[in-house]
Amino acid sequence: MRAVLEAHGLVRSFGAEVAVAGIDLTVAPGEIRAIVGLNGAGKTTLMRLMLGMLRPDRGRALVLGNDAYAAPPSTWRVVGHLIETPFAYPELTVRENLMAGALLHGVPEDEVERSVASAMADFELEQWEQRRAAHLSLGNRQRLGLATALVHLPSIVVLDEPANALDPAGVVFVRDLLQDFAERGAAVLVSSHHFDQLARVAHRITVLHRGREVGSLDPHGFELEQRFFDLVYAADRELGKARR
Amino acid sequence: MRRAIRVEWWKFRRSRVVITATGLMSILLPAMGLGFFVVAVSGGNGVLADKAGALLTAEGWPGYLGLVDQIAAVATFLGVGVVVAWAFGREHVDRTFPSLFALPVSRSAIAGAKFVVLVGWILTLSILISLAAAALGVVGGVGPWDTGEIWPGVARLSVITIGAGALALTMALFASVGRGYLPAIGAVIVIIAIAQVAVLLGTGGWFPFAVPGLLAVAGAEGAPELTAAQLGLVPALAAAGIWLTLLWWGHSEVS
Repeated sequence: MRAVLEAHGLVRSFGAEVAVAGIDLTVAPGEIRAIVGLNGAGKTTLMRLMLGMLRPDRGRALVLGNDAYAAPPSTWRVVGHLIETPFAYPELTVRENLMAGALLHGVPEDEVERSVASAMADFELEQWEQRRAAHLSLGNRQRLGLATALVHLPSIVVLDEPANALDPAGVVFVRDLLQDFAERGAAVLVSSHHFDQLARVAHRITVLHRGREVGSLDPHGFELEQRFFDLVYAADRELGKARR
Repeated sequence: MRRAIRVEWWKFRRSRVVITATGLMSILLPAMGLGFFVVAVSGGNGVLADKAGALLTAEGWPGYLGLVDQIAAVATFLGVGVVVAWAFGREHVDRTFPSLFALPVSRSAIAGAKFVVLVGWILTLSILISLAAAALGVVGGVGPWDTGEIWPGVARLSVITIGAGALALTMALFASVGRGYLPAIGAVIVIIAIAQVAVLLGTGGWFPFAVPGLLAVAGAEGAPELTAAQLGLVPALAAAGIWLTLLWWGHSEVS
């Protein structure tokens, strides 16, 4: 199936620091592609490039065949994302935040109420409906951010550390959520540190280190964490040799 | 853009900054004018009475409304500037800016929606300040009700508050480029200081931020006359600030 998210030789630097150093990647409909890496590996920068939040220095980031940085607004109607901070305005109630998310994601006017009610039920936010986001726990704010990002049932999902601040039940909830979206045909790009949870749902796991893809992990293999560190240390040794 | 306006309006009406600024400006501003007026006409001695007397350009309603004009010229720029700084800077401070990318509503439309809400608020604020000034003048016993004296004064007060508010919209550019409220609030303070210096040097007419203040004393003895070109710089600068802000929102990256 043709990929709906594509990265071709993506490079992006911030001053002298190369955050993403030539990454190729594709995500097809129905696929969950996971990215793992240590802090500063380039996961968030890669996702920002895929969403047009940053301009690549070289290479291309394509969404439905359009360059992400210059994609027409209509391209984004089918995309849902959560990068770092959830879409949760502290002064708005849970319901108002979801309404805002539905409106900005292009949900038709006559479907906004139904989409919001459905998202509130799916993300177990009904009891907080009238509570302002400022007064939610971190975990519930993250749930609200996920609900707002996905209220329009997108067919392309990009989530950076979606299980942040969630309790173990919340992590399982995110795992099931990703699986649900993929089963409905969505292309899912997700970054995480939760190897066990990823292993259960990802179709492919890419390991990033210092802005480069340094290998991949078999989601159904054993001792993912150990194999992840083997790849990272091997990459460091290679890099050390190259520098010498 | 209609969708973005709805969302921006929800955020705006819930903001404590907006509620506080609206309350303070619409009540405190005419109240200060009345206080100065009462002190100035009381014939008392002392520094405050001397200062208030020096600001008084006429007697009765024109004098009272003239004092409100002078306070409004600075206070509106300051108050609206803080709200504009919040409206644009909060997306960076609250880290919601990345959420505004990759949406079918463009970021320039979102910034445009912020301006639509702000312009609506400035117009409402101008009406509130004018009504409060008229009402406080009556309650404070400024003089007998005289429509011929009061309405021209109130109209001038509206022009000054709208002009100062329009100029404060340019603070959106400082909040956007500086990615927070503080650069814009700093710019408000620096601009007020520069405007004072420009007026003292006699070049205030060509510094648009000083124009509302000069308009407040127009016609008074020794006050400089403003030309049409100088007055025209006010909407021109506001429009340029809005345009540059929309451009920035359309082309910026996340930090």
